[in-house]
Amino acid sequence: MSSKQLNMVQAINSTLDYALSKNDSVVLLGEDIGRDGGVFRVTEGLQAKYGSDRVIDTPLVELGIVGMSIGMALNGMKPIPEIQFQDFIFTAFDQLVNQAAKLRYRSGGQFNVPMILRTPYGGGIKGGLYHSQSGEAYFAHTAGLTVISPSNPYDAKGLLMSALEYEDPIIFLEPKKLYRSTKVDVPDEEYKVPIGKASIVREGNDLTIVTYGSMVPVVSGTVEKNKIDAEIIDLRTIMPYDGEAILQSVKKTGRAMIVHEAPRTLGMGAEISAFLAERAIDYLMGPILRVTGPDTPFPYRLEDYYLPNERKIMKAIGKLMEFR
Amino acid sequence: MTEVFNGQEEKDVFMRAYSSMLLSRMFDKKIVTAQRQGRVGFYTPTIGQEATQVGVSMALNPDDLVYEYYRDVPFMIHRGVPVEVLLDQIMGNSEDSAKGRQMPSHYNAKAQNFMSVQSPVATNLPLAVGAAYAIKHRKENKVVVTTFGDGSTSTPDFHAALNLASVYDLPVIFLCENNQWAISLPVEKQTKVEIWKKAEAYGAYGVKVDGNDFVETFKVAKDAVDRARSGKGPVLIEAVSYRIGPHSTSDDPSKYRSEGITEGSEKDPIVIAEKRLKDLGYITDEIIDKMKSEAKRIVDQKFDEREKIPPPKPESMYDDVYKEMTWIIKEEKGDAL
Repeated sequence: MSSKQLNMVQAINSTLDYALSKNDSVVLLGEDIGRDGGVFRVTEGLQAKYGSDRVIDTPLVELGIVGMSIGMALNGMKPIPEIQFQDFIFTAFDQLVNQAAKLRYRSGGQFNVPMILRTPYGGGIKGGLYHSQSGEAYFAHTAGLTVISPSNPYDAKGLLMSALEYEDPIIFLEPKKLYRSTKVDVPDEEYKVPIGKASIVREGNDLTIVTYGSMVPVVSGTVEKNKIDAEIIDLRTIMPYDGEAILQSVKKTGRAMIVHEAPRTLGMGAEISAFLAERAIDYLMGPILRVTGPDTPFPYRLEDYYLPNERKIMKAIGKLMEFR
Repeated sequence: MTEVFNGQEEKDVFMRAYSSMLLSRMFDKKIVTAQRQGRVGFYTPTIGQEATQVGVSMALNPDDLVYEYYRDVPFMIHRGVPVEVLLDQIMGNSEDSAKGRQMPSHYNAKAQNFMSVQSPVATNLPLAVGAAYAIKHRKENKVVVTTFGDGSTSTPDFHAALNLASVYDLPVIFLCENNQWAISLPVEKQTKVEIWKKAEAYGAYGVKVDGNDFVETFKVAKDAVDRARSGKGPVLIEAVSYRIGPHSTSDDPSKYRSEGITEGSEKDPIVIAEKRLKDLGYITDEIIDKMKSEAKRIVDQKFDEREKIPPPKPESMYDDVYKEMTWIIKEEKGDAL
């Protein structure tokens, strides 16, 4: 079984290449994705290989990119639009919420939108207010959308492979901080990581830490360095999240914590906390804690102070471990 | 019209057009009355826009796609959508293909190549562009028509869609049904420029037509469809008519406008059609009366028949959010039932 050492950009690029080669109805579209290969080079080389009709450089109009993709998806194509930064998606929010998410429902299942919207999200690249946002909760709150975020190159390929066969609209959030941070062995062959299933990154007994995206390596690093016997759950799919995996783990450890970059109030941490409060209260030794970005816009110069880090995570772990 | 039809063919086509306009008018009157009687929740009347829609519909092939908005009943009737399908949607009964999920006037008529109707105006336009891209990609000989009102021309979706369709030379007909009112805002307050002229800014072809006259509208639409089908890119048609009725049954136009074109006046599209057909010798007052009472009878009968259909089952509410019901929705369904 052959494999290659790939970073996340390479893993996604090779999977898009595979998708374009296998199916003529797959098209990529977005700003600067063709001639330029995308501002993060995720689509590099693909226009030269498949032509400008299938790797489409679009005018600068997010709602048009998304709306056009929906129209393609309704007509037998498999569009994979890219929004250059998730921060720029909001003019297309109407299209996502009122068209993509609702077409299956409002047509009684006669129409569906098999679109994979890829977009880099999150901080860690000194992007300030408008190149750093983590908007997953906006999308997760919309019935009809499926929200995915890989935390490593292996999952990025496997989740994208599953997404290619998925028949509903997907928001594929790529943690840009992790685009080139590590290389792992990625098999050359086809494989899938199932949508809706979390992965247990590390088994442990003292507490459960639920996280996803760019926070997975931060949490793992913290736990390893400080020799904490924590079980780490990488959601991989944010909506629908893997409630069963979280519940089983918390029943075992008796302590629960959620870590994400996005602001705390009404973020995924709030949802998971409520989920556990409803059904794991008998197993919990202490409060369900959240380590998240604060409820402020994302600051440029103070980025490192904004993001959850070892210090903040250890502080919360210390607090949680006091409950016995 | 000899350049398009021969004698008998023209008579058949025109009579079918008139018949659709008439059925739609009777349908409209029936639903508005039924709403007043509390038998229907809501409705967006189409009265005044029959000629615009039927004229464009006449220029299309059955496999052309339509991305319409919520005021396109004549269009649907002319393309063969059964009155029952419209009534089931309006009533939101268990025969409605969308299981009563949408408020009235938001139809699904996939069999006649209509897209499912949304409320947020102009959001259908970028979808039509994507549909046309798919058509071009597969080298199919189809066009896409997308419809919207004059108010929609102020939205970003309108500009985005027109620009994209032009940039990629796509076969899209943008049909602006300018009925001169966006709820309470008159078109002269909506935009400083005539709508058809906006096409030029994007390199599309723009044309204006009297949308009260189905023959004039048909001619312009035929030309537009031929252009788009032959690969010359998108066309913006501004069909000027008048919204004779209110925006919806929840709206009282006397609060914001004085009366314009009224039903039965000489600019009423039905009256114009009747005059044309009489001049051509295709129709007499006697035939008109007979057709009107027949259309009314059909609508009355179908309405009573569909009204007896029960509402959808509560558990159907949880279906069709995703292809596979998520564990979350399964749980919510279980808790509720």
